[in-house]
Amino acid sequence: MHEITPLPTETHTAAEAGQNAAPGRANPGQGIDYELFLDCVHCGLCTSACPTYLELGNENDSPRGRIYLMRAVTDGRLELGDEVRRHLELCLDCRACETACPSGVQYGKLIEPFRVAMEQSAPGKAKTDDWFHRLVLFGTFPYPGRLRAALAPARLAQRLGLLRAAERIGLLKLLPARLQQLVAMLPPASKRQPRLPDFLPAMGSRRARVALFTGCVGDVMFRPTNWATARVLQQNGCDVLVPRAQQCCGAIHYHAGSSEPALGMADANVAAFNADDVDAVIVNVAGCGSMLKDYGHHWPGDGQPQRAGLADKVRDVSEFLDELGLVDPPGTIELVATYHDACHLAHAQKVREAPRRLLSKIPGLELRELGESEVCCGAAGTYNLTETEMAGRLAQRKMANIRATGAAAVVTANAGCLLQIAREARAQGLDLPVVHPIDLLDKSYRREAWNV
Amino acid sequence: MMELAARLPLRDTIAPAQQGELVVAVQRAFAEETPVYPIGGGTSLDFGLPAADEGIALQLSGLDRVIDYPARDMTITVEAGMTMTRLAETLAAEGQRLPVDVPDPDRATLGGVIATNTSGPRRYGQGTMRDYVIGISAVDGRGVLFKGGGRVVKNVAGYDFCKLLTGSLGTLGIISQVTLKVRPVPRASRLLATPVNGWNEGRQRLEALASGAARPVAIEWLIGPAWSDDPALVSAAEGTCGRLVVGLEGTVDEVDWMEQELNRHWDELGAAAWSTIVDDAAPALWRRLTDFPANPDAPLVVKANVAPSYTTSYLQRLQIIDPDCSVQAHAGSGIIVCRFSPTPPAQGYEQIFPLGLVPEATMGQGSVVVLGGRVTRELPPPAIWGKPTTAWKWMTRVKQQFDPKNLLNRGRFVYEH
Amino acid sequence: MIAQRFPELVRELQRVVGHDGVLAAQSELVVYECDGYVIDKNSPDVVVFPRTTEHVAQIVRLCNEHDVPFLPRGAGTSLAGGCLPVGGGVMIVLTRMKEILEIHLHDRYAVVQPGVVNIHLTQKLKGSGYHYAPDPSSQGACTIGGNFATNSGGPHTLKYGVTVNHVLGVEAVLADGSVVQFGGPAEDYPGLDLPGVLVGSEGTLAIATRLWVRLTRDPQGYRTLLAVFDSVDDATNAISEVIAAGIVPAALEMMDQGILVALEEAFHFGFPLDAEAILLIEVDGLEAGLDAQRDEIIELCQRSGAREVRRAETAAERQKLWKARKQAFGAVGRLSPSYCTQDGVVPRTKLPHMLRRIAEIGSRHDVRVVNVFHAGDGNLHPILLFDERDQAQVRRVLEASEEILDECIACGGSVTGEHGIGVEKLDFMPRLFAAEDLAAMDRLRIAFNPDGRLSPHKMLPTAGACSIEQSSPQRRAAL
Repeated sequence: MHEITPLPTETHTAAEAGQNAAPGRANPGQGIDYELFLDCVHCGLCTSACPTYLELGNENDSPRGRIYLMRAVTDGRLELGDEVRRHLELCLDCRACETACPSGVQYGKLIEPFRVAMEQSAPGKAKTDDWFHRLVLFGTFPYPGRLRAALAPARLAQRLGLLRAAERIGLLKLLPARLQQLVAMLPPASKRQPRLPDFLPAMGSRRARVALFTGCVGDVMFRPTNWATARVLQQNGCDVLVPRAQQCCGAIHYHAGSSEPALGMADANVAAFNADDVDAVIVNVAGCGSMLKDYGHHWPGDGQPQRAGLADKVRDVSEFLDELGLVDPPGTIELVATYHDACHLAHAQKVREAPRRLLSKIPGLELRELGESEVCCGAAGTYNLTETEMAGRLAQRKMANIRATGAAAVVTANAGCLLQIAREARAQGLDLPVVHPIDLLDKSYRREAWNV
Repeated sequence: MMELAARLPLRDTIAPAQQGELVVAVQRAFAEETPVYPIGGGTSLDFGLPAADEGIALQLSGLDRVIDYPARDMTITVEAGMTMTRLAETLAAEGQRLPVDVPDPDRATLGGVIATNTSGPRRYGQGTMRDYVIGISAVDGRGVLFKGGGRVVKNVAGYDFCKLLTGSLGTLGIISQVTLKVRPVPRASRLLATPVNGWNEGRQRLEALASGAARPVAIEWLIGPAWSDDPALVSAAEGTCGRLVVGLEGTVDEVDWMEQELNRHWDELGAAAWSTIVDDAAPALWRRLTDFPANPDAPLVVKANVAPSYTTSYLQRLQIIDPDCSVQAHAGSGIIVCRFSPTPPAQGYEQIFPLGLVPEATMGQGSVVVLGGRVTRELPPPAIWGKPTTAWKWMTRVKQQFDPKNLLNRGRFVYEH
Repeated sequence: MIAQRFPELVRELQRVVGHDGVLAAQSELVVYECDGYVIDKNSPDVVVFPRTTEHVAQIVRLCNEHDVPFLPRGAGTSLAGGCLPVGGGVMIVLTRMKEILEIHLHDRYAVVQPGVVNIHLTQKLKGSGYHYAPDPSSQGACTIGGNFATNSGGPHTLKYGVTVNHVLGVEAVLADGSVVQFGGPAEDYPGLDLPGVLVGSEGTLAIATRLWVRLTRDPQGYRTLLAVFDSVDDATNAISEVIAAGIVPAALEMMDQGILVALEEAFHFGFPLDAEAILLIEVDGLEAGLDAQRDEIIELCQRSGAREVRRAETAAERQKLWKARKQAFGAVGRLSPSYCTQDGVVPRTKLPHMLRRIAEIGSRHDVRVVNVFHAGDGNLHPILLFDERDQAQVRRVLEASEEILDECIACGGSVTGEHGIGVEKLDFMPRLFAAEDLAAMDRLRIAFNPDGRLSPHKMLPTAGACSIEQSSPQRRAAL
């Protein structure tokens, strides 16, 4: 029988602990404020908010467990072995745990820098050091031009109906799993729309002056939604600036553990958006919005106050319109829909009621509450491209909940969620449109009928 | 005592006046290996298998002191030999009660009620003894006094001996002292009755009651003499399948509202209106509803427990077995008490168990036990407690731990022998 | 390490539940070395995730064959070390048995697997007019199997009772690996009330694999009040007055000034910071009776010296008040780097005395104590604030905690109202119970668990447990 060993009192700092860690490599916990670990009182109330724990039931795949693992590595009690690495990688970074936590643990501030450091500390094992990350995620996604070019053959195939045919006969199975996933995620081709102008004036009396963040993947895949966003802002009395020099927010890199390139993008955006010149910087993709709002504390050091200045101005479009006071949308949309809370909106930005309130103002629209609305759909940025199995399980879980509502359409405010849910709907043979709340508002202002 | 000796094989009767004397008596019995039969008010001696081995009776009605009654804490600690009537009077003086209905309360003792887990109509809304006993002391089969729980309403320290001993028929320990959680006496109480025409209607009415806006504290369905011999119910409108009686309790406003709501609901269903049992008739009817299982004249009284939604089917089966039987169902809880008519069933009493009562109860996910009656002694053991389940093996193991010489109420309970 | 000593056991377990159902690497076991109670830690040797009752039975049989101790675990939210694998061994984690199997509204019961999260059942019932009544503050995470093992309470136990009042039956795997059903969908099965005995047995008698739980009708309405008092005595007297008037509130919670300050700082609820205590009182039931009950409570509070009584006029205001109550422990982190909480119970009328004693004990040991608790049940949760880096403070906190619990016993109360004995309060069992009582409990354990392999060293000091010296209270969320 073991003796029960009392827990040593934590009087040491992370830096001291780091010295106990495996020699030769920096401890990934080294740069983290140890007090952040101590905020966790180990009550476990976060566990069932975590999608991976809900699916697997393994404490190692829960927020409390991951914090425990990171702290054990930081303390030098545990080697950063393959298992530990795997459990940390499987985190969606959806931040549902932060919503559930009664003690205010800032989980994102633990897992994100830890994963960044984990990637850097073991180059040979880095999850990002493979062809998919180098070529596709980092090399193509953040660059709209390259992405558009890369997608061209697939787009052509899609337009010719070849992709659906290939999907049906299983040809796509010949592709590597993660590329399959990427192809399956392609939204249906829509009419190509021109790029947004640099400036769109307010309609009616001017109430605000805003800058619009158009994103990278978003601009290619969701240009119609960007147009819709601009129009809805105009309808609500906003001058809309669209800075040319803006870049990808850097989230893809940052969340995959590549901090340096992300910092470069952040500083480019600080330069592109003159935060002092506008009332708000509007974002319509939740993942980008939460990254932009975090600019202030991701990187201490040079340029930090400027990044914080930009971050302070960032608003999700629903949040902004709800605060501003929405001009009543006039057009009726006869539709039963359900709203899925994007993690990076609900958990990271705490924006939950605003989009629901906006949607409730559209005449004819019936919004049905979605069970487990705040459980991640599995998209989680590029998670669904790298952790295909877990992403698939969560997509199926989400779709079961959606089906239970009987809704004819799903509304959600994040690019990843839109693609993920739409892909799952197609996979299940469902004709289920997935739209951004702004798309619906735009239709209502334009008095367009509901058809997809 | 004459009566006792006729019903138990007694060598002697001891009536301890103190808990210490009870301990000594059981210790002596343990040394001498003499079976012990704990007796409270002697109201449930027909319940369970008949005792076969000669032993001593421990008459507990001398243990009837109030140990502590902090009324504002809504708990009371008393010795277990106290009668239910005295307990009720003590509590009533402070506007409180133990909302468990017990037949023959002038004789029945608290310890006996706990040991037999007696309950009545209010169990639907108020629960049973297991919901009220928060502390218990008992003397085990070796003569060791032990206790569980405590005197506070919320307590998770240690195993829950309150639950272990409730319904154990005195076979694990002789209950000597009890702490109860009690409740305020409701400011208003009312009984309403309505006729039932046809089994299907009865089934639908029960569903309506279970899901309706009113929240009765009791839902009783009476069949045969249970209502037709009752002065408060016989005069109500005709009904082919007996009477439904509901008990309402709460503030005056609540009870008034529930009565209106029930009538509104019944009107909507196109059912005959509820008639209110007025004035003095109401307490008397509560009393009769409570005393129903204790009728000493019936040849056989059984109690079935089924899933509540199966109540109607079970009542139908009882009608087939004995068209003249008298039945009271605590219909909201799926507890059905049947007093058989004086006419013996064609196949004999023994056969109605395997041929009707037991399989029907099994269909309802429950079981059936004998509460008493003249023919009880003629029935084989499986009829008394029903078919053994794998759970009984574990009950037997518990019994062996608490009463290694099998002295307490030997042979009367469910244990494997 | 059993994984090293018994590689065969690990392989056999893998054969039962598959490779992804067994953890045996030290790096994956470390998160299972404690639950919500973090003072004592010990890693299990193997963690196994069954998905069926038969899996659990096979795992138990394997443990017996290899003479290895084993214990169940749900979500690991115990505040008393209920899931601590004291002697190591095999930890059977039931989180993959999470199906709600049946719901029968007319018969007022549901059948669930033990890993179902408490709130998932109530969410599933939303709109049906029914709910599952036990609502521990950890209900968003804790499992019904864990609630069963610890007889969990919550703010609404005053009117609705604790878990044992809502369990009809249980299918369990016993220590010898046999599968037995006790109780079931009906009430009053013949024989002993073994479901009642197994509830709260902290995993030492059996492992629940399927539960029949009572469903409760939703109340028609609520009235929620916040009464503000200038003195703790007045507040505790008001509690007694309300209860003595024959009102059974659905919940009656108290928060003292210390906790109010923390809450206000964290959430800006608008609480008066100069008040010494506030009561959160809720009545529920038929609309027809609620206004009268509310008015009566207001009057009783005012008569007891309440400075003001606020009403929650809307559902949103009600939610806000409850949020304040349920977030209280989280907010304590803002007062102090560390805290520990106790779970003592006293008779309601002893609350004024007990709160004075707590204050006195705190000041004598130079430990700051704040209070937020289930006042209607007399269930105290004094929170002792300290800095765990200061060993002298730690010692004082331990001494003060012990004195508080001893005082609860002296008042005729208990050392735990809802958190359980676990390993944390083993030393108090002999103070609460006589040797004969503990011997009787041991006999009950022996009847079910004669070899002591199931959850050894828990709950009973007689169960072979080494006396555990508490060396360092950690901060802890308590509920």
